[in-house]
Amino acid sequence: MGAAVAGYLTFAVVLLGGWELTARLALVDATLLPPLSEVCVILWRFLHDPRFIADLGLTGGEVAVAFLIAAPLAISTGFLLGERLHLAETFNPVVHFILAVPQSIFLPVFILAFGIGFLEKVLFGITHAYFVILVNSFAAVRSIPRPLVAAARVFGATRAQIYTRIYLPAMLPLILTGLRLGMIFCIIGVLLAEMYASRRGIGRLIFTWGEGYQIPQLLAGIVLVSVLTIAVNEAMRLGELHVGRFYARASAA
Amino acid sequence: MPVIEVSKLGKDFSAGRARVRALADVSFSVEEGQFVTLVGPSGCGKSTLLQILAGLIAATSGEARIEGERICAPMPDKIGMVFQDPTLLPWKTALANVEFPLDLRGIDRTARRKRCAALLELVGLSEFADHYPHELSGGMRQRVAIARGLAQDPRLILMDEPFAALDEQTRTRMGHDLLDIWAKTGKTVFFITHSLTEAIYLSDVVLVMSPRPGQVIDTIAIDFPRPREVDIIGSEAFGRIRNRIWHLIAEAPA
Amino acid sequence: MQWRIIKAFAIAAAAMALWEAVVRLDLVSQIILAAPSHIVLAAAQDGGVFLHAFATTSIEIGAAIVIAWTLGIVLGVVAGSSHTLAAATAPVLSSIFAIPLIILYPLLMAWLGIGPLSKVVFGVLSGFFPIALNTIDGVRAIERRYLVFARSIGATKFQTYARIIFPLALPAMISGLRVGTGLVVIGVVVTEMLASLGGIGYLISYHRTLFNTGHVYFGIMLALVMSVAVNIGLTWLDRRIGLWRMREQAEG
Repeated sequence: MGAAVAGYLTFAVVLLGGWELTARLALVDATLLPPLSEVCVILWRFLHDPRFIADLGLTGGEVAVAFLIAAPLAISTGFLLGERLHLAETFNPVVHFILAVPQSIFLPVFILAFGIGFLEKVLFGITHAYFVILVNSFAAVRSIPRPLVAAARVFGATRAQIYTRIYLPAMLPLILTGLRLGMIFCIIGVLLAEMYASRRGIGRLIFTWGEGYQIPQLLAGIVLVSVLTIAVNEAMRLGELHVGRFYARASAA
Repeated sequence: MPVIEVSKLGKDFSAGRARVRALADVSFSVEEGQFVTLVGPSGCGKSTLLQILAGLIAATSGEARIEGERICAPMPDKIGMVFQDPTLLPWKTALANVEFPLDLRGIDRTARRKRCAALLELVGLSEFADHYPHELSGGMRQRVAIARGLAQDPRLILMDEPFAALDEQTRTRMGHDLLDIWAKTGKTVFFITHSLTEAIYLSDVVLVMSPRPGQVIDTIAIDFPRPREVDIIGSEAFGRIRNRIWHLIAEAPA
Repeated sequence: MQWRIIKAFAIAAAAMALWEAVVRLDLVSQIILAAPSHIVLAAAQDGGVFLHAFATTSIEIGAAIVIAWTLGIVLGVVAGSSHTLAAATAPVLSSIFAIPLIILYPLLMAWLGIGPLSKVVFGVLSGFFPIALNTIDGVRAIERRYLVFARSIGATKFQTYARIIFPLALPAMISGLRVGTGLVVIGVVVTEMLASLGGIGYLISYHRTLFNTGHVYFGIMLALVMSVAVNIGLTWLDRRIGLWRMREQAEG
């Protein structure tokens, strides 16, 4: 674990230090790479700007809504297919085909169909999150060792007990991983849609700054989104770890 | 000149803060063409000694020499090695595996193919030249490993408990076949095992090692005439030698 | 056997007919769904332009794949060679991978322009991480006995890496190569859609603004063809390497 920390630290120092130095020493044109300190100041100002916060909130809202709709849908579909394998046989090739296809390509179609508002972003986000979570939930159900269930039945466990004491702990790790990946894909989808065509939102801001060569603002936006998404990812990963451990103990009992 | 000369060999390992003495003052020599086995309880340092002879690790004190030359690094043209796990390359056929060391040396393809095909025949696997390791049994894989160990025509073959992972039947048969191969090639073999039976059956000389720190507590010459059949294992003379070694090891100060 | 083929064709034809009907009868707006006839029409009208764009995109993707594979594999092998190095590098790579890399594109745009270079660089960025991560895992998983064996036969460092470590790690690498290559394709096409001078993505976007849905769908189809072709190539590679995997598991 010490190595991981060392790795992060080294990387952070090299990246951030290198950035600041390169800019300060004017090794690169200042318009192309303003110093990190300057970017941080701009970011700080943004965080106090209500309009910026509104855009950030809008994007966050699109992601949240998309995720909260996609996740339960995908998990239940995953369970359904996992339990009823004959359905799975028909749908699996379809799902895998869809996953193999770069879904982002269909963005223009989404726009033609739904415009460029909140709904279109949410729907696009849903499609990105849905299939990943579905595949992982399906795998989660299939991963339950059958002998475990048989043994439980022999010992007279009720349906509810089988679900909570056996199914749940066994499935949780894969489901949580699916949720984390689904969240990442959802964020990517929503941001892409905003960057491509939107009136508001962080993605739109970032793209506009890029087009307008407003590099300091652009970098501020990139830094913020990077930090936020890494934070979300690590938080969910920690959750996976702790829930996994908790249920490992519970199911061993 | 003896092929191998080991004098006052010592090896210490640092495990955390403690220093572990694996070998202490080991001395012996091996003449050309001999089949010598080192036998001892688990953890006595047999493998460590073999690794030093192979040039894979360095001794802390003393030295080991092959044909007068100090061993400080692997000498693949002089020393061939067979490990407990055959460690064949899974994507190569049996023949390609045997050829591999020569391939790395850049030996011309026709020459090496001929030599290695002959080696496969020697170990009785000519029909399986084009088979992949996963298609061969454990014993067969080890035969390929032996053929591979002979590929560079080394003077000395080191064998690190090569038959330990095999069942008893196969193990005995492999021992018998190994003696055959040894007789045909005239190599010097240095073999380690913790099976007393195997040691006595195979060797000209058995070096008995004490528990850690390993030392050679006795050198026993085995006089059974060659070629040796498996039956001798049941003989009284065999049993006596076995008991003697057993007691030597059991009574050695730990 | 022949009957199955005929059946498959019949189903496909029926699906096509249904699709055409749905659009013609205005059950779904022409703007949202293009009928097969519209797509064919688009192909006939501007086939040449699309073909040229297809070539541009293919070259960008090809270049990005070569670079991403090389960088990813080399870094993966180097980082994977040492336990400490792997433990230090993998978590960092993994965390960065969580960032939606698309937000970096405007930066690439500003620095490198909207020509093929920015697409190739973005493609490399997209594909690099899964390839490197999987390669690190693959190399770390190699059992010590192979390395000891390599030393015992006097293999040079280069020989050990190229002839033993690399092939042994390949089965684990392949899934990284699949994911990474898929991401390269998406990355290139999507950035072409965002801002480009040419390429399939550019055409898709361009025709969307003109509501030429037939052209949009034609473009999407071509992009899918590209993606499927890459996928088939990777599956072939996967299968060949899968044979090794089977052998390796049996070798034990």
